[in-house]
Amino acid sequence: MKLTVVPERCSGCKLCELACSIKKFGVNNPKKSSVRVMVVYPAPIIRMPIFCHQCKDAKCAENCPVDCIHHENGIVRINTEECIGCEQCIVSCPFGAIFTHEDYEAPFKCDLCGGDPECAKVCPTKALIYVPKHLIGQAQRMSNVLKYAHMKQVEFFEKGEKKVLHYTEAEKKENNKEPK
Amino acid sequence: MKISGGYFWKILVVDLSTGKTEAREFSEEFALKYIGGRGFGAKILFDLLKHHDFQLDPLSPENVIVISPGPLAGTYMPASGKTSFVSLSPATGIYGDSNMGGSFGVELRQAGYDALAILGRAEELSYLWVDNDKVKIVRAPELKGKTVLETEGLIRQKTQDTDLKIIAIGPAGENMVAFACITGDWGRNAGRCGIGAVMGSKNLKAIAVRGTKDLPVADIKRLLAKSNEGFAELASHPMFSFWQDQGLMSVIDYANKTGIIPAYNFKDGRFDRAEKINGYVMEDHYKIGNTACFACPMCCGNICLVKEGEYSGTAVEGPEYETAAVFGSNLGVDNFAFILKANQLCDELGIDTISTGNLIGAVIEGYQEGILDLDDTDGMVLGWGDEKAVIALINKIAARKGLGEIIGGGSRNLVRHFPKLAPFISQVKGLEQSAYDARSAMTMALGYATSDIGAHHTRAWPIAFELEAGKNWPPEKKVDLVIHHQTIRPLFDMLGVCRLAWIELGFPEEFYEHAYQAVTGNAFTLKQLLESSNRVYDLTRLIVTRLGISRKDDYPPERCFTQPVLSGPHAGKKLDRKAYDDMLDIYYQKRGWSKDGKISQEREKEFLDEQQLL
Repeated sequence: MKLTVVPERCSGCKLCELACSIKKFGVNNPKKSSVRVMVVYPAPIIRMPIFCHQCKDAKCAENCPVDCIHHENGIVRINTEECIGCEQCIVSCPFGAIFTHEDYEAPFKCDLCGGDPECAKVCPTKALIYVPKHLIGQAQRMSNVLKYAHMKQVEFFEKGEKKVLHYTEAEKKENNKEPK
Repeated sequence: MKISGGYFWKILVVDLSTGKTEAREFSEEFALKYIGGRGFGAKILFDLLKHHDFQLDPLSPENVIVISPGPLAGTYMPASGKTSFVSLSPATGIYGDSNMGGSFGVELRQAGYDALAILGRAEELSYLWVDNDKVKIVRAPELKGKTVLETEGLIRQKTQDTDLKIIAIGPAGENMVAFACITGDWGRNAGRCGIGAVMGSKNLKAIAVRGTKDLPVADIKRLLAKSNEGFAELASHPMFSFWQDQGLMSVIDYANKTGIIPAYNFKDGRFDRAEKINGYVMEDHYKIGNTACFACPMCCGNICLVKEGEYSGTAVEGPEYETAAVFGSNLGVDNFAFILKANQLCDELGIDTISTGNLIGAVIEGYQEGILDLDDTDGMVLGWGDEKAVIALINKIAARKGLGEIIGGGSRNLVRHFPKLAPFISQVKGLEQSAYDARSAMTMALGYATSDIGAHHTRAWPIAFELEAGKNWPPEKKVDLVIHHQTIRPLFDMLGVCRLAWIELGFPEEFYEHAYQAVTGNAFTLKQLLESSNRVYDLTRLIVTRLGISRKDDYPPERCFTQPVLSGPHAGKKLDRKAYDDMLDIYYQKRGWSKDGKISQEREKEFLDEQQLL
């Protein structure tokens, strides 16, 4: 299984950060989260949750001077007892996915909550997803296709009258309800 | 102590005149009485006004801006990203508040403060930099005249911190436009009551905050369990995905169908080309994404981009219903791209879209009616649907040039210059009316008229309830609905959460009782929380009556009584003055206020004898 992100879907609500801090540290503090939503605006606005990808060739482990970062069942872990707090791992991570907080000496990072990541569970737009490895990229592919369809339309004739159908409208008819 | 979470027990007080900054502690008594958010703001403003004998110029250094998120802000529950801004309003001269979504308030709380109170006036244009316990007033004359986004960018550059949460005023705030707003997170505005102008009067261009502290939660397990239930409930609501698709833009169709959309400066309640400015047009041609305030699964913020044509390249966080209605139907415009342009201009210059669209509508009608001539309009011919003129006026208002100088003073100033324009301006107490025509629903008229800040729907939005079920209700029941709204809706602003989950997706009121108890550890029930809210409503009423407001000011815009709706389901309808008068009597009576709208003497004494919060 793999934690992955579809940035186009992210709304920037930071619920993933909150859920992570509660799960990992038992406190309500998005700054103690192992996932960080980056927001860049104005257009093209980008919202992207940053988290550890559990790299096979982990730069953080490679650059750790005391060799306290290791793979464990596919998860990259920091041994906080051996950690000397030099923060080399933070700067060597190509994603910036290792975090630090003044309350703790050692940096912290995502450990996939032991195989049931809270962030993916709480994400209201399904931007963060936890999927089997063979499905990685599928969400991106589908998102790309739908975007393409959004711009496209089909012309057809009904009883001699020319009509235009947008894919998005076809989708809409199912839940075409009036708001309250 | 009854309370074991939810508060840092500290309010940051900044005096820009002396440069002194101080974190002052407050006692539990106030947290129990005023909860937080607008409650703290109202209390601090009241204390200040009492100190000045209720004689205070909103734009003088003595005025205060209280930025107060509330005890639930930033905690794990749906939509906990709200912050209240309270000040003496330059638009109305009375109590003013406005609230902002996004995440600024959460960051302020994480810096360890329950609220921020700003007093005084900086010698030079400055910004306030709060980095946890470090507080600094930084001189920044280079920010003069910069837009909100430019200001944000420059501060990030200067501080070398991209994680800072920044709110700022645009040029309009510096020029003290009476409806200047404060903007954060690209398009989240504390829009109403002109609090941006108060910031401008203090020479304060922006506030930048970084906070890293844990938000105190008394029972995090209970909060987690209850909120997870809440998130699941919201996500399973049949309207949830539609809400994510359109957000508040879905209201255009609703308001047009029910005949309450403002058209041609509130003359009509129906717009014949509404289908060109509705949520579906936005979805199909302009919307490129969603945005959410802190911890909100509903993500009702629309991000729009104009891809072709005259306004090509316009990107904006918005619009929402109010903006689309006041710049669309209200000005006779059916071009959605223009609405986006106007929205973007207002956001960057820092003016409230509701007041701007409303007043431009009044000026256009004034010109059409011959009240204003070409000399008054700087030579501009003003007509319905004239996009160029509207854009010119927005720029003039923000710069306070020509006619914009007069409009920029707010509706009271506009009437001072053009007394004959008064019947064409939809306002109460000097605050321009939100985008719901009140002629079809007495409750909405009463809600606008008795709102403590003026004609805004934030305190009461009973119109849908009356139109759906309550048309034939007896006046007593209608008054009950208005008072219920005016009690529960401000409670959201006291707690620091958004009310949209409740009002739009039927999120249960009881949730907030559980949430409050879990966060604070205090056993208050919903009923007790509502009593606190009611008490704050009495306090704001005391403030406004002490500042000269009385029964005569508790009337909806004049147009509601004199000009019937032109078309739509309510064609021919206007309000009956006698019936309204009677209803106002019932309202005062039910609130325990006098016939002239004053709170009881016992309550007044209670407030006057109470200790100061700061």
